[in-house]
Amino acid sequence: MNSRIVILAVVARPLYLVILLASLWVLLRGHNEPGGGFIGGLMAVSATILWGVAHGTTAARARLPLGDAVWPAVIGLLLAAISGVPGLLDGEAYLTHRAWTLAFVSVELKLSTVLLFDIGVYLAVWGALAGYALALLAVDEQEQEGGPA
Amino acid sequence: MIWAVAAALWVSLASGVYLCLSRDVFRVALGLAVVGAGVNLALLASGRLGSVQPAVVPKGQPFLELASNPLPQALVLTAIVIGFALVCFSLALVLGLIRDAGTDDALELRAAEPVPGNDIKPPATDPAHEPEWPPEGRA
Amino acid sequence: MTVTTPNAAMSVAGRALFTLAPVTALAAVLWLLATQALPLTLSWVWIPALDIELAFRIDGLSALMLLMITGVGVAVFVYAGGYLSGHPDQKRAYLLLGLFMVAMIGCVTADHVLVLFVFWEGTSLLSFLLVGFYHERQESRRSAQQSLLVTGTGGLVLLAGFIVLGQTVGSYRLSEIIVLVPTMEVTPTLTLAMGLILVGAFTKSAQFPFHFWLPNAMAAPTPVSAYLHSATMVKLGVYLLARLDPAFGEWPLWVWLLKGVGSVTAAWGMVLALRERDLKRILAWSTVATLGTLVVLVGLRGESAALAVGALLLAHALYKAPLFFVAGNIDHGAGPRLIDRLGGLRRQMPWTAAAALLAAASLAGLPLSFGFVAKDVISEAKSVGEVFTFARMANTVFGTIAVAVAGITAVRVFWLRPPPGAVRQAHEGGAALVLPPLVLGLVGLVLGMFPLLAQDLLAGAAMAMSPAGAGTALTAPLDPQPDVGSLLLGLLFGATVFLLWDRLYRGLEWLAGRTGRIGMSSIYERTLAWIPRVAAGITRRAQNGSLPVYVAWVLASVAVPLATLLWLGRGQWTWPAAEMPSAGLAGAASLVILGAVFACLMRDRLVVLLSVGLIGYGSAVMFLFLGAPDVAYTQFTMETVFVIVAAAVLLKLRRMGLDRAVPEPAWRPGALALSLLVASVLTALLLAVYATPFDPVLSEFFGEQSVPAAYGRNVVNVILVDFRALDTLGEVAVVVLSLLAALPVLQAWRRRARTPVAGGRS
Repeated sequence: MNSRIVILAVVARPLYLVILLASLWVLLRGHNEPGGGFIGGLMAVSATILWGVAHGTTAARARLPLGDAVWPAVIGLLLAAISGVPGLLDGEAYLTHRAWTLAFVSVELKLSTVLLFDIGVYLAVWGALAGYALALLAVDEQEQEGGPA
Repeated sequence: MIWAVAAALWVSLASGVYLCLSRDVFRVALGLAVVGAGVNLALLASGRLGSVQPAVVPKGQPFLELASNPLPQALVLTAIVIGFALVCFSLALVLGLIRDAGTDDALELRAAEPVPGNDIKPPATDPAHEPEWPPEGRA
Repeated sequence: MTVTTPNAAMSVAGRALFTLAPVTALAAVLWLLATQALPLTLSWVWIPALDIELAFRIDGLSALMLLMITGVGVAVFVYAGGYLSGHPDQKRAYLLLGLFMVAMIGCVTADHVLVLFVFWEGTSLLSFLLVGFYHERQESRRSAQQSLLVTGTGGLVLLAGFIVLGQTVGSYRLSEIIVLVPTMEVTPTLTLAMGLILVGAFTKSAQFPFHFWLPNAMAAPTPVSAYLHSATMVKLGVYLLARLDPAFGEWPLWVWLLKGVGSVTAAWGMVLALRERDLKRILAWSTVATLGTLVVLVGLRGESAALAVGALLLAHALYKAPLFFVAGNIDHGAGPRLIDRLGGLRRQMPWTAAAALLAAASLAGLPLSFGFVAKDVISEAKSVGEVFTFARMANTVFGTIAVAVAGITAVRVFWLRPPPGAVRQAHEGGAALVLPPLVLGLVGLVLGMFPLLAQDLLAGAAMAMSPAGAGTALTAPLDPQPDVGSLLLGLLFGATVFLLWDRLYRGLEWLAGRTGRIGMSSIYERTLAWIPRVAAGITRRAQNGSLPVYVAWVLASVAVPLATLLWLGRGQWTWPAAEMPSAGLAGAASLVILGAVFACLMRDRLVVLLSVGLIGYGSAVMFLFLGAPDVAYTQFTMETVFVIVAAAVLLKLRRMGLDRAVPEPAWRPGALALSLLVASVLTALLLAVYATPFDPVLSEFFGEQSVPAAYGRNVVNVILVDFRALDTLGEVAVVVLSLLAALPVLQAWRRRARTPVAGGRS
């Protein structure tokens, strides 16, 4: 195991990007087609795992947003919590969502607190489950950690 | 359809509980995962199995018609994620246990046993699992 | 008493301030009786959801009890000022006595049975605290525990009885219950309620076979004994029986139980008094016996019996409290209370001797005392009511030994020659110790000479106990006629027992030595000793230190009751119709089944892990074929991540040399049976649920509102992030928090791995 599978290390970089992009796509289309924050988050976790197996958990951890698993988890949670505030300000129940459509010259951009909430879920799932996965993977890594990494 | 789900549920629950009743703590953690998978099936089926169309409103239509029940799906979806966190948590506990006690056999974990001479709860008499008492007894 | 630090002892002003409480209460009661027409009702809404009102109702019986509670209360508070003078915890005694008085007042005025129960338990609890007042003595603690266990358990039984009664009758108001019950049929449920209430009342009033706790409660300070264990609290049981007598009075079972148990208690209590040498315990047994007589009187029919209950309640309060005060004065002024070491105290304690004579005359039922009036009314009641022979004999024993007890307390210790080894040094206490018994005794004397003074009070109480009639028995003036023959005969018998007291004592002791310990006390103690042994046995088996056994207990305690319920209700549910599953679903289900079987059969952990993965993938495919793509994708991804992570953990274990399987049998039949039971129960539950009609209103709402209200076509996602967003937020928060909880465990592992020889466990 000391010599990591070379092919995996080589394909990890493009694959990582592809999976992350796919997870974002799944996240964004989730409101209308199968998908959403949970699935997107889990796909992102699998990307992180891929990097962890290929290049070590320390490297995979560094590639997470803000360099650690706890940060995306906490920020995601905060985003989801904040997304309920506009509804509250309008005098409705907490987490009553709002949507706005911004029209540019020829592009309609839909913005909503629902999207914010889903992004929050995505980040929280990614952070929390990647945190678990990397910590558990790291347990197996300790012995060769002293050498190459 | 329900009978196929029920058969899968029955076998996976039995298997999960059987694993949970093992002395091997790693098996117990895996058993939790299996029980979780079975319960997710039951949860989904409790919302009745009818149409196998995904619960997505077709483009241009105002509301959902003739599709699977979306509510249990939402429940199961979060249950899967929470179940994963639960199993990871128990794996972490298994590792912590192995680190502290040096064993993965549940029957060798006797740290919470009463000391000999405790007549309210006398210690087990099975010599095979007699714990090693610290010389001064436990505080 | 011993002198303690000055700031611990209470000043006279402080004591007077506390004494104001019962004085005010007494004044209020007197004002109430003088100005208000009874019955008086008050009520506030307390728990509207349960239909519980703080309902109070004061009628003649309540008024009599209130007068006794507050009147004797004043005497007790004054007496406690002298008796506990200088005791560092005197303030606590006052506080507890005051609270106790409140609880008693609440108890005898409550109209709602649950409100009554609350106050009833309050008196039990305060009795526990007061009996254990000398908490540094082991005997006190044991006695306090015993009285709490007996009366507290009785209280719970009483609560059960009240609830059964209230649910059956349809009302929790005493005033309505006593009207409704006589019109109802005698059903087993109603009989059960009656039996439970009887147990509650009998424990409180120390009736056989729960009589043993009361003499042991004499470990309390004397003012407490005088108040709780003679004049007021122990009468609550009698009070409740008298309250409910109009409801159950026509039932033969009720009548026979009251007469039977009361008679046994009256006779047996007095016989047990012969086995005592401690003055207080002798008095306690005579209290037990008097309570028995009261219970018999409640069981007797007729208005004169009701009148007799009131008269004996009042008379007993007026003589037993002073006699306890006398006993207290003796241990305060002379030291011991054992009658072997007392005699000729009249010289040193003249006032106490006078009070003892006044009270004992009433106890013995001598003419001109109120006890005589009570005795007369009782014999009147018995001539009218139907009394069986046993009760008559019991009453004869009771009356005879009562005279002897009166002789012991008033004559032997004060007037007879001191026995060898008696205490020589004795002194009279202060006014606070002497006045209460004297005043109470004098009240008894005045009422005995002019019984008409108590006429209205007793008649009012009797009216409450037998509301049906206002016959001549109540309006006829109390005018006791001495029946010289029976009076003299009774005195003669009593005097014989008095003179033979020591011989009878020795005889009974010899007898008790022959029979061994068979009393209720020893049964109680054996039960107490038995509890920890049974608990240890259960603990040893349920928590034997084996994780699989724990898991099995938890699962079995869920599965077995559920299985029983399903089995009992099997007639009500139908199996869902069988239909052919689609090929995809059947294939996926086979994957799950295959994985599950392999997971159980395989020994190698890596293979087990892969089998578990197979189950997960199989169920993902099942989700896909059941029209749940979101769930299926989630399950696929999750399973992949899980297998990789768990494999990493396994590799680590292998490197640590822990890859060999734990030495357990390949087949565990017990575990297999339990797991099949759990699985079958849950599967059957699902099938039973599945066959019931489904209420789709919620799912339809989500399906209809998803696009127009939430602008999303994927209904599952809309539910997650919009309709039920708060749930999702909570769930995500749980996942994040669990990570925060798990990280320290895993990071500790990292640290240890980095410093492998840093000296054992961190």
